[in-house]
Amino acid sequence: MANLPRRLFQPPWEFRESSLFTAFVVIAGFIMQYAASGKGVPQAHLPYNALFLALFAVAIISAGVAFRDNALAKWLGGIPLGLCLIFAIALLSLIGGVVPQTAVEAGSLPAMLALNQIFSSWPFALTVLLFLVNLGLSLSWKLLPFKVQNIQFILFHAGFWIALSCGIFGAPDLQRLVMKVDEGQESNIGYSMKSEAPQHLPFSIFLHDFSLEEYPPQLFLFDPGSGKPLEELSKATTLVKKGVKASWKGVTVEVLDFIPCALPGKNGTPEAADRTAGIPFAKVRISGNEAPAEGWISTGSPMLKPWAVPCGKLFLLMTPGSPKAFLSEVTVHDGVGTQTKATLEVNHPITFMGWKIYQMGYDQQSGRWSQYSLIEVIHDPWLPAVYLGFFMIMAGNILFFWNGIKQAESAS
Amino acid sequence: MNVDFTTAARVAIACWALGTLLSILGRRTPTLKPLAVVFSLGGSLVMGAFIAFYWVLLDRPPLRTLGETRLWYAALIPLVGLLVEYRWKIGWLKYYCMALAAFFLGINMLHPEVFDKTLMPALQSPWFIPHVIVYLVGYVLLAASSLSAVHNVSLQMRKKENSAGESVSHYLALLGFVLLSFGLIFGALWAKEAWGHYWTWDPKETWAFLSWLAYLGYLHAWRYKIDRAKLQWYLALSFVVLLVCWFGVNYLPSAANSVHTYSQS
Ligand code: HEM
Repeated sequence: MANLPRRLFQPPWEFRESSLFTAFVVIAGFIMQYAASGKGVPQAHLPYNALFLALFAVAIISAGVAFRDNALAKWLGGIPLGLCLIFAIALLSLIGGVVPQTAVEAGSLPAMLALNQIFSSWPFALTVLLFLVNLGLSLSWKLLPFKVQNIQFILFHAGFWIALSCGIFGAPDLQRLVMKVDEGQESNIGYSMKSEAPQHLPFSIFLHDFSLEEYPPQLFLFDPGSGKPLEELSKATTLVKKGVKASWKGVTVEVLDFIPCALPGKNGTPEAADRTAGIPFAKVRISGNEAPAEGWISTGSPMLKPWAVPCGKLFLLMTPGSPKAFLSEVTVHDGVGTQTKATLEVNHPITFMGWKIYQMGYDQQSGRWSQYSLIEVIHDPWLPAVYLGFFMIMAGNILFFWNGIKQAESAS
Repeated sequence: MNVDFTTAARVAIACWALGTLLSILGRRTPTLKPLAVVFSLGGSLVMGAFIAFYWVLLDRPPLRTLGETRLWYAALIPLVGLLVEYRWKIGWLKYYCMALAAFFLGINMLHPEVFDKTLMPALQSPWFIPHVIVYLVGYVLLAASSLSAVHNVSLQMRKKENSAGESVSHYLALLGFVLLSFGLIFGALWAKEAWGHYWTWDPKETWAFLSWLAYLGYLHAWRYKIDRAKLQWYLALSFVVLLVCWFGVNYLPSAANSVHTYSQS
């Protein structure tokens, strides 16, 4: 008896049953997706999603505790099913990691199966839901009765449960809006990526000033024949500074002088100017090819054409350096008295009335001379819960690291 | 990058080659062993010095492009091999590690890079260095874990008993998983500050999640009663997922709309 191989569905269930069940769920998900003709999973907003999630959590934990010794429950909360679900989530993520997650023709097969928006599809939702059941059951057994030695397990698994469930159930409550604010103007209108309709925000942003700082410009050779810069030459570019020398294929360029902010003077040579209007100018000497040349080059601006120096059949030019920093001086106010003056910069968002306000972009055509700033405002009431999960996982991680070292030491 | 890199890389590879040779000879003539260690360490030292030099030259940590991170891998991976030898008296891992390091430097020699000092605003964050370093060390450990697993698989095929080797690959995978988890969460916390949301299923994020899942699966399979010898195959293959995450993502069709592919070449 003991040596007979276990037959399919003969208890205790293990990997074969788990993989069949998981495959069934994923396929059922795709069928539901197809039947819903490409429409996503219905979404619930606060407070309904929070209520549902709380009920779900209580139900799982109670079921786990009540059916602790039930073979079916053990299988539902066991590692074999967990592994199969991890594999299924990995597989669905793989689709999301390979197929571009962008709009495709409605009615096409990828659209009907939501391959282009896999993370809000039925198969993904069902798999995650089952994953939460599986993880929740295994958690309930280690949670009750509580034992200190289970703390690492609890931190990892409860942390992940909280972060995943709140991230997914809370997604419908996430508001991300983009505001376009002109210099010297104020706005309280934001646009979401999903719809064209403007939305009114509970606060206004006044833009005092937008400014952009650039890295030094770069040299490049322009081919008027093709109308394009020469790629392989341009790749060798160095940042322009006084004294810099660069050589490509027998042509040597030496920067004799560099003025970061200048305007053409009366006699045609550039003269230093203030930051608002001035652009970078460099005096260069080209040698090594048939016609040595010397002269001033510049990047140009919306008001001024770029200056170039001929170099054989080509032209030597400068492109503006890439942006180093851009920032908006703003005042945010709610119209009834609360207001903050702040500087918005990439990586330095501010918080106002529960909204996070980010520097997002600007008019790229005008660069430094952009007349407006693009500001993203985000409201995510579920963030604290997700972060709680993150911090629990990190705490579990530290214990795991520590115990891992201890185990390895006692093993050797 | 092409300034002095070729010289530094050649010296480092020569050190590792000598270290390997002396260590093999050292099995017969134990007096050669210290010298072997000196050369193996020397290779990493040369790369370490080059990284420091390059850091000063660039005015920013050389962690931005894939080519730059390969410098760190090349310097660090042999150290893991040597540490494992020192700690568990397992000598073979370092050969694989030095070969992998030389391979990384070889890639960089074939692709001399743009000499670019710029660091885009989104990368100018206190999170940049911890996030990248944690991932880097995690990948180093997981690379070593996979190398060790490959070796274990080859021993299995030759029917040799090797439970110490299996615990080395396991321990390295465990440490690598810990760092990967930190890297993932640091990345999420940074993304919230820089891009507004902690998780957007961007292709790079998706692949990072996939490689984390691969090792999560490994740890649970290991806990369960799955044959440890078979898991060596799993560990050896997990590295493929890591490699895609790390180099491959830029070439996938989904990469066109990634915000994280600034680290081309
Ligand atoms: C799919 C659902 C999951 C189930 C059913 C599950 C179940 C388990 C079980 C039963 C153990 C063994 C605990 C022990 O023996 O004390 C374990 C260990 C562990 N789990 Fe999970 N787990 C799941 C998901 C996760 C997730 C999402 C994480 C990460 C956030 C995680 C991280 C860990 C870690 C780090 C260990 C310790 C491994 C070791 O000691 O070698 N698990 N899990």
